Amino acid sequence: MFGRFPLDYSHDDQEIKIRLSDTGSLLKYERECRGSREERYLGRSFSAIHIYPVEPVNLPEPLTQYLEIAFPPVVLPPGAEQTVYVKFPVEIGVFLESNGKQSPLDVFSLVPVKFSLYGLPSSGLITRWFKSDIYPEIPSVDMYREGVMALTLKNCRTENAKVSRAVFDSSSMCLYYGTRVAMTATLEVFSEYLARTTFTDAAPPDCPNRAIDLYRASSFALSTTKGCFMEAGTS
Amino acid sequence: MSITDIIGLALPNWTGVESDVTSDKNLFATVSPRDILFFFVGIVIAYILGLIISHHVRMRMSHRLKKDQLDILTGFIRAILIIIAVGLSLPGLLDLSVTIILICIAGVIAIIALSSQKVISNMVAGVALLYESPFATGDYISTGGVEGTVIAVRLFSVRIRTGEGIYVHIPNDQIYSTAVSNVHANVARRFEYRVGIRYQDDTNRAIAIIRQLLEKHTFVLENPAPAVFVSDITADSVLLSIRAWFPSNWQLTKDDISRTTSILPNVKDALEAAGIEMPYGQRVVWFANEPSSVKDPAAGNGQK
Repeated sequence: MFGRFPLDYSHDDQEIKIRLSDTGSLLKYERECRGSREERYLGRSFSAIHIYPVEPVNLPEPLTQYLEIAFPPVVLPPGAEQTVYVKFPVEIGVFLESNGKQSPLDVFSLVPVKFSLYGLPSSGLITRWFKSDIYPEIPSVDMYREGVMALTLKNCRTENAKVSRAVFDSSSMCLYYGTRVAMTATLEVFSEYLARTTFTDAAPPDCPNRAIDLYRASSFALSTTKGCFMEAGTS
Repeated sequence: MSITDIIGLALPNWTGVESDVTSDKNLFATVSPRDILFFFVGIVIAYILGLIISHHVRMRMSHRLKKDQLDILTGFIRAILIIIAVGLSLPGLLDLSVTIILICIAGVIAIIALSSQKVISNMVAGVALLYESPFATGDYISTGGVEGTVIAVRLFSVRIRTGEGIYVHIPNDQIYSTAVSNVHANVARRFEYRVGIRYQDDTNRAIAIIRQLLEKHTFVLENPAPAVFVSDITADSVLLSIRAWFPSNWQLTKDDISRTTSILPNVKDALEAAGIEMPYGQRVVWFANEPSSVKDPAAGNGQK
């Protein structure tokens, strides 16, 4: 389902239905997913439709740009570096192409959404929350529901570090797709209360295709950050 | 225009009466078309420069500052540029030193201040509000009996649109001296609900059902975790309190009706589906002339 398609595209399985139909002077876009239905009329000047995984922070309404993944605690010795795999929720974005540019049309997901608070109510962050297990190898996933993140944990402290959650800024996410949806990220622990997450813009071998970032495709995006500082600890 | 004029050190203008008289006599006599052109070109350049700088500031700072703060910052930059342009071009136009112009401005300000204390009071409160930023445009606030969304924060007043769609204009000095509650100041907000169940219902089961419901609710935050507990045992029911945190910027958080409609009806339906019912008010009435044997509830055949 991911990729660039002509304007007569349709997809129909048990969970997701997407259909583009010609109504004369306009095109009609219809989408059904988990009981929600979207219907829009489109002008005829568009040249293609793109469907990609997008940053999972857009539904049901854009409340936050941060994704928090909670996982079983991992204790790292001083100076250690360990790569593990965690799952993250997938949101699917539909884009319209016009004059070589893609603009967002619709976002939907098969995964229920849950929010959380990272830090204090006065100074913390609202995050899109997702619970994952820790996997030593790449786990098998339903690519329309969950992606796999290769997360490198680095303990920059002189003491053990306990890590059980990571907060990511969606403005710098780098999503790839192929046999699955994938991201590569690093979590560096500097102290008990300070850590930083960053994304690596590198394609995993089995996921060579770069998805369009909804954040960058949106006209309001002005700048991206170079990681997210976690100032309320990692556990 | 000399350097000393620009930096306001034209001492003869401070002390020498003759010099002032001479200046006043030649106030407009020396104005040439070139000076007038210089004055207006300076203003236009400052205005255009202000627009360009404001645009760049907006581009670079819009993700860090709120719209109100950006408006104030860009307005301030443009005002400063215009003042600099006027300060540089007006002395040449009127053949006056910067010092005299500043004295004139100070005099005008003093007159305005004396004649309109309330306006000045509002302005000072407006500056204080802008500096302290207890709220910004788009925030949902409650102050002095008015509750609604802030649609503009101006130098003299704050404009609010209430939930009923009424436009309310509040002078700044009034809002500055009153307590203000801002729904959006913190990123998360806690609400508490109370639900009564019958005495014969299983309290732990009811708590487990409510917890499950809250866990599925998208906007009930995972952390801090929602709390469900017995908060009171009244004459009619066992009262369960539900404490849940929501994102402050969720559009329904500000509205009491909306937030309750999404939680309480679902709790009622879930409890009723599990056979746990809301209690009716109960009263036991004993008649005064009843035989003593039927007054004992334990006997089981008492007349009520």
